[in-house]
Amino acid sequence: MKKILAYLLVLCLALPMMASAQGFDPAEVAGTTLNVYNWGEYVDMSVIRDFEKEYNVRVNYKTYESNEYLWLQLQSGDSWDIIVPSDYLIERLIGAGMLQPLDKTIVDNLDQLAEGLQGLMTYDPDNTYSVPYFWQTMGIVYDTTKIPEEEMEAQGWDAFQNPAYAGHAYMYDSSRDAFMIAEKALGYSANTTNEEEILAAYEWLRNMHKVLRPSYVTDEVIDSMAEGLKWMALVYSGDATYILSENEDMAYCTPHQGTNIAVDAMVIPANAKNPKLANLFIRYMLEYEASEANSIEVGYASANGAVLEALSGPGGEYEGNSAYVPRAGYAQDETYVDLPSDWQARQPDLWAKVMAE
Amino acid sequence: MKSFVRMSYPYLVWIALFIVAPMFMILLYALTRSGNGTITFKFTLENFSRFFSDPTFLRVLWTSLRIAFLTTVFCILIGYPAALFIANLPEKRQTLMTLLLTLPMWINMLLKTYAWRGILMNFDLESEIKVFIGMVYDFLPYMILQIHTAIAKLDRNLLVASYDLGANKWKTFLKVTLPLSVPGIISGITLVFLPAVSSFVIPKLLGGGNYVLIGNLIETYFLVAGDWNFGSAISLIMALIIILSMYLTRKMDRSTEEA
Repeated sequence: MKKILAYLLVLCLALPMMASAQGFDPAEVAGTTLNVYNWGEYVDMSVIRDFEKEYNVRVNYKTYESNEYLWLQLQSGDSWDIIVPSDYLIERLIGAGMLQPLDKTIVDNLDQLAEGLQGLMTYDPDNTYSVPYFWQTMGIVYDTTKIPEEEMEAQGWDAFQNPAYAGHAYMYDSSRDAFMIAEKALGYSANTTNEEEILAAYEWLRNMHKVLRPSYVTDEVIDSMAEGLKWMALVYSGDATYILSENEDMAYCTPHQGTNIAVDAMVIPANAKNPKLANLFIRYMLEYEASEANSIEVGYASANGAVLEALSGPGGEYEGNSAYVPRAGYAQDETYVDLPSDWQARQPDLWAKVMAE
Repeated sequence: MKSFVRMSYPYLVWIALFIVAPMFMILLYALTRSGNGTITFKFTLENFSRFFSDPTFLRVLWTSLRIAFLTTVFCILIGYPAALFIANLPEKRQTLMTLLLTLPMWINMLLKTYAWRGILMNFDLESEIKVFIGMVYDFLPYMILQIHTAIAKLDRNLLVASYDLGANKWKTFLKVTLPLSVPGIISGITLVFLPAVSSFVIPKLLGGGNYVLIGNLIETYFLVAGDWNFGSAISLIMALIIILSMYLTRKMDRSTEEA
């Protein structure tokens, strides 16, 4: 009897939730498949399973490692229902007409977006095409038993030129981010297309390669720093959150020279095969429960304002974790804008040469 | 006989589709720059001059050749005694030993490399040494099996005849066993050197993120920079080097047969 009552209670709670997605009948999508292409280490898979159960659908979940790779795959005509590109790639995709507008009668919960995001969505200010998923700054995770806090904060990006740390650093293998830290360290814009500035940044990176001898890594940096294998690493704040929660010697520095502040947002490609379910998925992922589970699982700052507040607040999962909430409103911080097409191959080319040297 | 020839037609179609056509695409990409229309092509050698005029690329090429060469040499040095040892065992044990040798090949190479990464992480070694260990480990079975086959099919009467004529064990090895097993070494070289020179997973996983070989360079230009033209040019340069080394090893093989 108790069990039946409990089921009834759950049903009563669930019904209004389903009904609030107006003008939409869940039976329409039952049995269909949703192809989701997201970043690696970016989701709590139980959220995906719950979504499958709730709407009686199948989610085909695949992951990628970089915006550049995603862009190449999209160009070769691959089709997904949901992708989660970063801000500057969304700008490019909108410009190329490769996205379709969201169905706002389904995605009706945009009021839940975190306040800090407002000024950042310059690529799509009205959320016509995109809904933020996670957001982050780029910064340095470092071992406070090896590098004192004042020393790191005073250096900022210059730490990547410090011979005292030679052989003890991880560098994230991403051309856009590598050039960003060089440009910020030199006082330029992270979106510069000035030839002299880009060459100066290239020299800065070559010097880093020579002086610091860093290991070039991608996602493996997360576990390696959690284990404290090296003194410092260039990471996204979300990964830093996880590292800090695993290893209490680690701290996060958002460099004073300014950094990139980035938004990864869910969008629906123009060639998506199941846009209806895709809209439903976006709505589901922004809701409190899914956002909270994802943010706790991977450590990235939630796009849901209430989740962000709860997790960083007293008693929250990331209370006192300096990496969790991205620094907002700092004048030197920049979002990436899409570089002109002849520049898109330029940075990866120079970056490949830095690493091969 | 003629009907047998006809049976090879499906295979020819297969070759055309999956070997000739992709090679042709690579050639086409390598000889052009992006921004071509579907019908008009502007041929250029720019990709090649870009590769050969940049000391960074040349050094990567040199490193790739060097590590592949060293891997091959070490595979012979370790593989030959091992093959000789196995060939001198009783028949039944030989089967067991070759089975044991091929056992690691049943496991995906990626998994084995990850395992090595875990092992080598605890040692403070140069990236090059780590990559080198991984490569020798991975390619050694191919070398041993090739040499073993060559020694195993050697006519035992030749060895008896050599002893009969007064040669000791060492001399018999030098004058009879070694020369007759050269074809095995040669095919071993082909099976080790070629994959080693173009390997990109092993340097990526074991090099600690700062060891770039030519295979990694190709990967970067295809997947990250999106510069398929330059990537194709590097692939083509690689292919030419491989063809050249195959030609040279075959020539070596023939000259030993004549001697």
